Amino acid sequence: GEWAVRVVPWSRELPGAWRALHTSAVCAKNRAARVRVGKGDKPVTYEEAHPPHYIAHRKGWLSLHTGNLDGEEHAAERTVEDFFLRKFMLGTFPGCLADQLVLKRRANQVEICALVLRQLPAHKFYFLVGYSETLLSHFYKCPVRLHLQTVPAKVVYKYI
Amino acid sequence: MAAGASARCLSVRGALRLPLRCRWAGVCEPERGCRFYSKSAALPKDEGTDVTGIEQVVIPKKKTWDKVAVLQALASTVNRDPTAVPYTFQDDPYLIPTSSVESRSFLLAKKSGENAAKFIINSHPKYFQKDIAEPHIPCLMPEYFEPQIEDVSEAALKERIKLKKVKAAVDMFDQLLQAGTAVSLETTNSLLDLLCYYGDQEPPADFYFQQTEKSEELEQTTEENNKRASVKAAHQAGVTWKARNNAERIFALMPEKTARSYCTMIRGMVKHRAYAQALDLYTELLNSRLRADVHTFNALIEARALMANEKFEEKWNGMLELLKHMSVQKVKPNLQTFNTLLKCLRRFHAFGRMPALQTLREMKAIGIEPSLATYHHIIQVFYQPGSSAKAPSLIIYDIVNELAGKAFSPKDLDDDMFFQSAMSVCSSLRDLELAYEVHGLLNTGDNRKFIGPDLRRNFYYSKFFGLLCLMEHIDVTLKWYKDLIPSVFFPHSQVLIGLLQALDVANRLEVIPQIWKDSKEYGHTYRSNLREEILMLMARDKHPAELQAAFADCAADIRSTYESQEARQTAPDWPATPLNCVAILLLRAGRTQEAWLVVAPTRDRAI
Repeated sequence: GEWAVRVVPWSRELPGAWRALHTSAVCAKNRAARVRVGKGDKPVTYEEAHPPHYIAHRKGWLSLHTGNLDGEEHAAERTVEDFFLRKFMLGTFPGCLADQLVLKRRANQVEICALVLRQLPAHKFYFLVGYSETLLSHFYKCPVRLHLQTVPAKVVYKYI
Repeated sequence: MAAGASARCLSVRGALRLPLRCRWAGVCEPERGCRFYSKSAALPKDEGTDVTGIEQVVIPKKKTWDKVAVLQALASTVNRDPTAVPYTFQDDPYLIPTSSVESRSFLLAKKSGENAAKFIINSHPKYFQKDIAEPHIPCLMPEYFEPQIEDVSEAALKERIKLKKVKAAVDMFDQLLQAGTAVSLETTNSLLDLLCYYGDQEPPADFYFQQTEKSEELEQTTEENNKRASVKAAHQAGVTWKARNNAERIFALMPEKTARSYCTMIRGMVKHRAYAQALDLYTELLNSRLRADVHTFNALIEARALMANEKFEEKWNGMLELLKHMSVQKVKPNLQTFNTLLKCLRRFHAFGRMPALQTLREMKAIGIEPSLATYHHIIQVFYQPGSSAKAPSLIIYDIVNELAGKAFSPKDLDDDMFFQSAMSVCSSLRDLELAYEVHGLLNTGDNRKFIGPDLRRNFYYSKFFGLLCLMEHIDVTLKWYKDLIPSVFFPHSQVLIGLLQALDVANRLEVIPQIWKDSKEYGHTYRSNLREEILMLMARDKHPAELQAAFADCAADIRSTYESQEARQTAPDWPATPLNCVAILLLRAGRTQEAWLVVAPTRDRAI
C-alpha cells in the first residue's frame, strides 16, 4: 500500500513504529489424530499410528451406530453420549485402558469393548464392571454391557 | 428356436433351483414363456377337478405366538458349549475363574459393584431423572428410600409401611393414637403384616451376604453335615418372637379384629418359632367364629409338627385334626399344604413313611399336581441319611419313572432341592442307569434351572461324576470328564482321586500327566492327598520308555510344587512317600542327577 512505502527500514530504531502484515493465504498443518514423528523411541499403537484418512482403508471406526445414515436422526446425541462414555471409562479404570474404547450400538443396547492392562486383580475388575454397567444403564435408560479384553502391556505397532 | 428359448428358460430356472417337475413342464410347453409357479399351487387345482367327494377343508385356528417365540426356537438348536464359562464372566483368560472359590468371589465382587452403583444413584437421584426410554422402564429409575411425608397422618404411616421402615411405622402409629386420630382397619392390618413378616426387627440390609463362606474343606465333609449346614444357613438365624412385642401390643389395641389380623399374627408367630402361642391364637380365632385362610392353616400345620415334647403319633393326629377343621370351614388345600405336611413328616423318621404315601394319594385324589419339592420331601422321608442298614426302599424308581419326560415350572421354594437328593440316593444305591435317568430329567425342557445355587450344583455333579468313575466304562467317563469339567463345576480333590482310581482299575495310567496338568488349573496345585495319589500310581509299576519319560516330567513338576510350597511356608516336613516316588520315577527315566538332588537335600532331615 501507499503508506507502506513511507515506512523506511532504518526507522526500526524508533520504538513501536514498525508494523507488518502477513498478506499471504493461511495454510495450517493438519494435526487431527496424528502422533508427530519423534526420535524413534516413542511407542505407538496401531490406532494411534494411522492418521484419520486411513479410516475405512487400514482402520475401522471406534464408534458404530446408525445415526449418520440417510434418514436417521439423533447423530449428535450419539456423539455426546460417546464423549461421556469415554471420559467415564477413562476415570473409572484409572491407568488400565490400553487403547481407545470401541462403542457398538445394537438395537437399544450399548456395548463397550475395552482393551485393559492387567493392573488390577481380577475381582477388582469385576467390581468395576458391575459398577459401570449398572450406573450407565440407569443413566442412559438402556442396557449397557462391558466387554473387557486384557493384555499384559500396551500393544506397540511401531516406534516413531 | 423353441429349444433355444426353452434352454434359456432352463438356465434361468436352473439358477433358481426350481423342482424338476416345473422344469420339464416348461420344456413341454414353451409357448407359456418363462412363467414361475410353485409346485404346491399347481396341485390343489388339479386335485379339485379330478377327485370328487373330497373332505371339507378345515382351516386351522390362527396361532398366536409369544413375542420371543423365534428366539426360543433358535435357542433350542444351540447346545451348551463345554469349553466356555457361564456368560456372567468376562471371556478372557485373566478374568476366567479357575476354582469355585474364585468364581464365587468374582460374582460377589460384581454384585457389590452393582450395589455401589445403586447407592450412588439413589443418593443423587436428580442426575438420573431424564427419561429417554420409550416405553418407560421403571427399574432403571432411582428409588426413594426415605419417607417424604413428614406430618403425623395416616398417609405418612402408609408410606412408611410401603418403604418397610418398621420402627418409623410403629412410632408414627403411636403418635397417631396419642393425637387421638383413629387409624383405619386396612392400615392397621398392613402394619401388622409388616411387623409379623419381619418379627418386629428392621429388615436385614445385606441378606445376600449373610450366607457363610463355604470353603472346599467344608464341602468334603459328609453328606449329613452338608445338609445340616445348608439348612442352618437358610434358617433366619436368631429372630425369635418376643412376648409382648409391638405386634402383640398393637393387636391388643385394635378395637375390632378381622380374620386377616388373626391370620397375620398366627403366621408371624409360626415364622418366628412361637408355636404354642400360634395355636392358642388359633383357638381364639375359632371362638370368635372367624375363618382362617389356607396359608394360615399351612402355618398351623407346621406349628403342630414342630411343638416340642410330643410323640410322633400325637403330632400326626394333631395335623389330621387341623385338616379336618379345614374341610369343615370349607377352605381348599393347595400345593403348599401338602408340601408342608411332607416336610414335617421328615422329622418323624420311620413313622413318617405311611402318612407320606397317604398324603401323596390324597393330593392326587384332589387333583393337585405335585411339584418337585413334593418328591424331594418324599425322598427325604424314605431315605433318611444315616438310617439303619435295612434294605433301602425302592420308591426312587417309581418316582423317576413317574417324572420321566416332564418339564416343570417353579411352584415351591424347595423345588431346587430335588435333584441334589435324587442324585445322592442314586449314588448311595450305586445305580448308574437311574443316575442317567435323573440326569436326563434335568436336561428336559427348562428343568436345568432347578439345579439350585453353586453349592448344590457342585454336590450334584460331584456325586454324578463319582458314580460314573465307579461304574462306567473308562472311555465314557473320560468323555463326561471333558464335557463337565471345568465348564459346569470345579471338581474338588476327592472327585479327582476317584477319577484316578478309575483310571488305575482300567489300566489307563497314561492319562495321569494330563489330569495333573488340569488339576493345577483348578487350584489343586498344593493339595497333598492328590499329589501323593498321583505319585503313588505312577511309581507303582514299570512302564514302557516314553510313558516313563512323561511320568518323570510330571514327577519333576510335582517336586517343584513341593519346593515352591516350602519357600512360601516355613519348614513343613517333606513326607517320605512322595519323595521316594519322585526319586524312583526320575531314576527309571534315567535322570539320575535330578534324582540325586531330590534325595540329597533330605540327608539333613530325619526321614
